[in-house]
Amino acid sequence: MGTVVACSTPFGSSGIAIVRISGDESHKITSLLINNSSKKNKHNSPTLFSLVDVDGFVYDEAVVNFLFGPNTYTGEDLVEINLHGNPVIIEKTIALCCSYGATAAPGGEFTKRAFLNGKMDMSQAESVASLISSKSILGAKLSYKNLRGSLLKNILAIKKNIVTTIGQIEFNLDISEEDLQPNLMSDSVKAIDVCVNTLHPAIESFDAVNILTAGATVVLAGPTNAGKSTLFNTLLKKDRAIVSEIAGTTRDVLENTINIEGVPCVLKDTAGIRKTKNVVEKIGVKKSNEEILSADLVLYLGPSGSVLSSENNNVIYVHNKMDLGKGKKEYDISISALTGENIYSLKKLILKKVTSEFSDHGFIITSQRQLFCLVSTKKQLVKAKNSLLNFSGLELVVEDLNAALTSLDEITNKTTKDDVLDSVFSSFCVGK
Amino acid sequence: MKRTNNKCELVVVGGGHAGIEAALVAHKLGIDVVLVSMDIKAIGRMSCNPAIGGLAKGQMVRELDVLGGVMGFFADQATLQSKTLNLSKGRSVWSPRSQIDKIKYEKVVQKHINDVGLSVVEGEVTKINESSGSISSVVFSDGLELFCKAAILTCGTFLNGLIHIGEEKIKAGRLDEKRSEGITESLLSFGFSAGRLKTGTPPRIKKSSVDWSVGLAGYGDKKPKALSYRTKKFLPKDEPCFAFRTNQKTHELILKNLSKSAMYSGETMAAGPRYCPSIEDKVYKFSQNPSHILQLEPEWTNSKQIYVNGFSTSLPEKIQLQCLRSVEGMGSVEFLRPGYAIEYDFFFPSQLKTSLETKGISGLYLAGQINGTSGYEEASAQGLIAGINASQTIFGKPPLLLKRNDAYIGVLIDDLVLKDTNEPYRMFTSRAEYRLQLRASNADQRLLKYSTTLGLLDNNLLSDLNKKNKATQNIVSLLEKENISPNKINTSLSSLGENKISEPVKIAQLLKRPLVEIKTFDLPVFEEIKKSLPSHYEEILFEAETIIKYGGYINRQKEEIEKLKVYEEMFIPYNFNYKDIKSISNEGREKLMSVLPETIGQAQRIPGIRPTDISILLVYLKRSFHVKHKNGEKN
Repeated sequence: MGTVVACSTPFGSSGIAIVRISGDESHKITSLLINNSSKKNKHNSPTLFSLVDVDGFVYDEAVVNFLFGPNTYTGEDLVEINLHGNPVIIEKTIALCCSYGATAAPGGEFTKRAFLNGKMDMSQAESVASLISSKSILGAKLSYKNLRGSLLKNILAIKKNIVTTIGQIEFNLDISEEDLQPNLMSDSVKAIDVCVNTLHPAIESFDAVNILTAGATVVLAGPTNAGKSTLFNTLLKKDRAIVSEIAGTTRDVLENTINIEGVPCVLKDTAGIRKTKNVVEKIGVKKSNEEILSADLVLYLGPSGSVLSSENNNVIYVHNKMDLGKGKKEYDISISALTGENIYSLKKLILKKVTSEFSDHGFIITSQRQLFCLVSTKKQLVKAKNSLLNFSGLELVVEDLNAALTSLDEITNKTTKDDVLDSVFSSFCVGK
Repeated sequence: MKRTNNKCELVVVGGGHAGIEAALVAHKLGIDVVLVSMDIKAIGRMSCNPAIGGLAKGQMVRELDVLGGVMGFFADQATLQSKTLNLSKGRSVWSPRSQIDKIKYEKVVQKHINDVGLSVVEGEVTKINESSGSISSVVFSDGLELFCKAAILTCGTFLNGLIHIGEEKIKAGRLDEKRSEGITESLLSFGFSAGRLKTGTPPRIKKSSVDWSVGLAGYGDKKPKALSYRTKKFLPKDEPCFAFRTNQKTHELILKNLSKSAMYSGETMAAGPRYCPSIEDKVYKFSQNPSHILQLEPEWTNSKQIYVNGFSTSLPEKIQLQCLRSVEGMGSVEFLRPGYAIEYDFFFPSQLKTSLETKGISGLYLAGQINGTSGYEEASAQGLIAGINASQTIFGKPPLLLKRNDAYIGVLIDDLVLKDTNEPYRMFTSRAEYRLQLRASNADQRLLKYSTTLGLLDNNLLSDLNKKNKATQNIVSLLEKENISPNKINTSLSSLGENKISEPVKIAQLLKRPLVEIKTFDLPVFEEIKKSLPSHYEEILFEAETIIKYGGYINRQKEEIEKLKVYEEMFIPYNFNYKDIKSISNEGREKLMSVLPETIGQAQRIPGIRPTDISILLVYLKRSFHVKHKNGEKN
């Protein structure tokens, strides 16, 4: 694997930015950058250096930290350059590194290397991604737990249970002189039930966990001129959306995150839904429908009798403009976006609708891929149990159990397939 | 048979099950082959149990048969009882087993060797010679040198064999047969590494000393089926075996004397429950079992000598006798021969390629117990493959490499070359991840393509089997296509206790229901097959039914095989330098360098190799892989 370079802090102007270089050549390349080939570098002792360009002109000062593999994040030699967070300086530094032999790292490359060098397993690597993108403290805590191997431990326990059961059945298939062990069937069914019961809460709590790590999507929808954008601004406590009396002002979907008692909600303001001949507005309406479909919650500024053009069961029917008149029975709540009346109650209601009961019972998953694997594991286990109960043949039971194991393997990735690898790591941001 | 010259193409050393298959298949392929045996009267001798086939082993015998092997064909001519084992479990683990008349078996083998004119030389090979990395000759104990292009060593348990009966030790290859010395040392001098293994055999007792009324008689199948497609008429005897049971007293005696057993050692203790050959181990490991079954089996027709299956032991003779006499019905049992353990040299099979040729010396092949296996069938399987591949090498053609999804034989060899063993390797169905496809009943469907290309079967048999397989396939596609209407089938369904159907349904779909059988449907095409292929009729319907009933599972396995195929076909250059890859784990690198896997697929299966090692290996290989591609070569 060659040497790679990337900026590990978000792009844009900031006080300090960190550029990371990882690989066999990382120390050599950095030496060229700081024009300091003579000195011997010490492990983990940050030192101030001048950064120079090809012609030897100093363009910035930076704290450089040399780290020696394998005791680094990636397991390889690594350098962290803390420079001033000016995009021009960052770009220049990366470009210089590249001209000295490094390549720009794609997203997730650093964690991918950590995985390839045996520093972490697949479930831990995924936890890093989810930790970075976590939008609430509780979500971050959960992700961190998995990074420390909590998910791995849970999966291994289930695996052990399945492997033991397979062993018992195989024994009966391969040793014919002895009759079936008397309790084989009931013991196996019991063991499978234990596995299923362990998996069940992890699967069930995924939506709740996902809201904590990724945030709930709350879409504001309704007819034109209902005051969606006013409500959007009120909830955000700032004038983000353009508000006017002209129906159909909002065309594009606007997005911003608010935090209701620690639960992140991604608010989306959409175009009002009406029949229109305006091409741009038409596209806006289409987008609105798509957003409604995929939302965790819809705030519909209209009565419950009105027909939503897209199906979504989780809807709050909001009566806006209560300052202009009373709401009726077909609304869940009455507010005034303009005066801010009852906004607190609306927030409470939103919170109630997006958070289901969630208690951390020690076995949680944080990605869609993990969910998919667990669901398929559970399905195979149930199938195995049915095969046992129907006497469909012990070797078929083993097939089902093996399939369950394969699904579990995909989470901790003991059977590496490079396509899975690529798809997991491509969801990372650059620099991690 | 005396040789007039000191040159031949292929030498096969050893006349056991591996040697016989190797020599006969090479001879059939037109190779000038010499079979060397220390005692030509012992060629084809069955050292241990009087049976061929059994769980997983029966499947291998069927595979051998389709690939031009002889074991099943010979066994059919000496069968005392024929039975399909595991009938209470699913059909993929049904396994044929034949009780064999051992004396008759030897005679059949030796007559066949004589009839086909295979050269046999009596003598002891003690040394091999190579020149520039290839085998050049074998040397006999009397100094005679036989020059050859290839050699197959099948020395069984004879290499420095040492028999243990309690504390007594006897140098021998089998009880009362001379052991073989020299070959181990010769191979060691070329840098091969060897180990020691132990295996055991139970006592033989006098028929007249047992109260047979106590035993539970077990007979063979009502409709016995031959092991070989070459057997035209199969009318075996149906001699019973008798089951006796050990009891608490037997177990106490064994446990009390455990320390006197040669078989009982730390190593054998460590192995899992699937490998429990000796009664000592069984009693110790399964202490919760109040009793173990002993099968008393005749060794030949009207045999006065009885084999005590399930009582393999190396306890002192006196204690063996004491233990057996505690079994009800065996109170006054007498020995003809005690049970014993034998310890012998074997060569770590990771020194072999998948073709069974050694990596160190080209043209040199090892097959059978010398590779650390146990069992007649395991030995035969390797012998046949070594024989075929030595012949292919002499012809300058590529070897036959069976994959894990082709055959149990493929599983056997893949396991051997990738996993060094500390105990004799015995085949089990659980070793085969694709066992649903590796059935005793479909060996021909799986392997006929290889026998066709390599010319391993007579043309008549080949075309007969091809017709049979085609008919099976036709029925399967018909059942998958055709609908059946409710009024034609509902009566049968209700009588089976199955739910009725309300509209026409594909026949295959109904056949997947557990209780529905293919014969529930009375289709005209069945009648046609009965007329055109009468001898295969039952088998064709059975197979078609199996293919459909297992369809879902088999398709999933096939998808998996297809996914993994890319790794199986991703070759690692023989001279690949693992030292270049720094990021690979030390343990992984050591394993890879010692096994030198031929493909990424094999590398993945080496125990102790971590997935990350494979990922890193892939990164490195893909680099050179792309370079190759750019040069216009195919993957």
